[in-house]
Amino acid sequence: MEPVISLNSSAIQCTSLSSSAPIWQDVLAQAITGELLAAMNYTSLSEICDDPEEVADALEHAAGERGHAAAFAAEGRKIGVEVSSNVEGMHWKRLREAFMHCIAERDFIGCLMVHEIMQESFAVASYSRLANVGPGSLGKTFARIAAEEEEHVDHAMAILRAERAQDVQRFDEKVHRLHLDVMTTLAKMLAKECKDGHCEVCHGNCVKPSLFEVSLSAAALRGASLEQYLKTLDMLGLPGEVTLAWVAQLPV
Amino acid sequence: MGGAVASVAGRGQTIEQVDFALVGHQESWKAVADVLAVLRGPKHAPLPDDEIKDILPWIPPRAVCHVEVRSVVNAKTGGAKARGLYIDSFIPPDRLEAAYVRENLARVRGAAACAIKAGAKIASLGGFSSILIEGNFDQLPERHNTVFTTGNTLTVGFIVQGVKKMCALEDRNIGRATLLIVGATGDVGSGCARCLAPIVKRVLLSARNLERLRRLAAELEADGVQVEVATDLRQFSVEADIVICAASLASSSLLLGRVAPHAIVCDAGYPKNLSPSAEMPGAKVFFGGLGQITGGLSFAPDFHGILNRHPFPDVVHGCLLEGMALALEGRFEPFSQGRGFITQERVEEIVAVATKHGIYLAPLYNADGPVEDKIDCQTEWVEGMSGEAKAPLGAML
Repeated sequence: MEPVISLNSSAIQCTSLSSSAPIWQDVLAQAITGELLAAMNYTSLSEICDDPEEVADALEHAAGERGHAAAFAAEGRKIGVEVSSNVEGMHWKRLREAFMHCIAERDFIGCLMVHEIMQESFAVASYSRLANVGPGSLGKTFARIAAEEEEHVDHAMAILRAERAQDVQRFDEKVHRLHLDVMTTLAKMLAKECKDGHCEVCHGNCVKPSLFEVSLSAAALRGASLEQYLKTLDMLGLPGEVTLAWVAQLPV
Repeated sequence: MGGAVASVAGRGQTIEQVDFALVGHQESWKAVADVLAVLRGPKHAPLPDDEIKDILPWIPPRAVCHVEVRSVVNAKTGGAKARGLYIDSFIPPDRLEAAYVRENLARVRGAAACAIKAGAKIASLGGFSSILIEGNFDQLPERHNTVFTTGNTLTVGFIVQGVKKMCALEDRNIGRATLLIVGATGDVGSGCARCLAPIVKRVLLSARNLERLRRLAAELEADGVQVEVATDLRQFSVEADIVICAASLASSSLLLGRVAPHAIVCDAGYPKNLSPSAEMPGAKVFFGGLGQITGGLSFAPDFHGILNRHPFPDVVHGCLLEGMALALEGRFEPFSQGRGFITQERVEEIVAVATKHGIYLAPLYNADGPVEDKIDCQTEWVEGMSGEAKAPLGAML
């Protein structure tokens, strides 16, 4: 006798996640938007690379980021939600503009600083936290993608360290200049409350106050992101007392 | 702070010369808030308390500011000076208990790694940093060219000096006194016992570990000292005239009935939390183990009165002063390591080094203010400090 309803694992997961599905829908919407933005950034980066290998690398990374976005969308479907994205959303648009400013100046190093040091610190730290609380394949997908993003950062770090060795002061000043723009935007995104209005990515009200329902909090995501950012700057060799003041001055 | 240090730090570069590193943490949320307020600068509003509590646990150990200490040796020609860093392990003030020991050890290790990375020749471990590592120096990262000291020997030196000074101020005959040491088997407690036992009438030793108490008692008795040991203060047969609390007491009321009504009480614990209480109105309580730099102390950025939240200028915990004194002397050696090795000779040696460079016992004070009637200009009470800042709770350096 055939069962009336096929009790496959996805269906079970879908049922058990029904109450928290709207939260994951918004979390995934932010993640997908971030990944699509990253794909756009790498595509733009490929256009200012002179070395064919660098062009290939950038395009490969862009494809990888699109793959991440697709993986997150698939996770949304597994829990029964359609996840939208909006790279024109207030904060994401500003992050894209900061990156495109570097592109306009054909500033390869500036692009790496914005994307790899700042945006990826945010992504790696957030995904790692989400991996810890995400149920089933959702958590595993966040963990896998966090690990892949970390590899991107490692690759960029070698280039950035070599660049810093050439002129420490100039390098650090540039990081600070970009920090003021990009990290200020990321800090606003991660603030407990969206003081500048709706982010234009969440499908309803802001998801942050509801994160506790999935054992998360905006404070923990922000803390983990800033910790990752500071550690990344430490690895580049920037003085800890200087970067501490930068982070302390970010908006909350 | 020397202009050179400040300007180099301002360019975002590591200073070339790092003689010493001071590893510490903040003891209260108020202290954390003040540190962050300095870092945020006057253009930014202070962070709300809830944001501070959210953010602090995520800050990795790192340098907070540059420190410069000057010696009084050859002061007319500029004097010797040593440059260093204050490195905060960012242990949250509400996570100092045993439940967080692993997490805190990791933070101390991280702070130690910062000292090594900065090229510090000597690093002093302040507050819980030394307590956590005491006897476990192998838990620190591979050392390279940085040596570590707990700084406990100079702390003992200033405690002993403070007790003697208080006895003189109160016209007490220390030779007739019964001395109680709470936390006697710790590095600082046992060091105090070795230094003071020979000059008092009787010694009462209290700690949690009876076996260690007995070992210390046997050591002192071999030199003809009268010793009693107890794991509970109520077990002693006599009252104490002088008390050194080398371990923090939950409340000074625990001493009630165990000490003479006019006992001299030295709060040498960490954090310092004994106050002159209504229950013991005659007791003379003072904070021990603190020294004062007279040659000059500066910070970049300026953390004066923030990191060293004492009511007198340039007062610093002895444990951190030990590293600074050794740096001024050019002796980059692990002067204090392990537990139970502090002797009178070693104390005299480090006190002599500190004194040579103008680092002396700090004016005696407690939570209510100075306990000395006459205070000269060097030790003038800092009237401008807020009530909170006057209270030494939260003092890191």
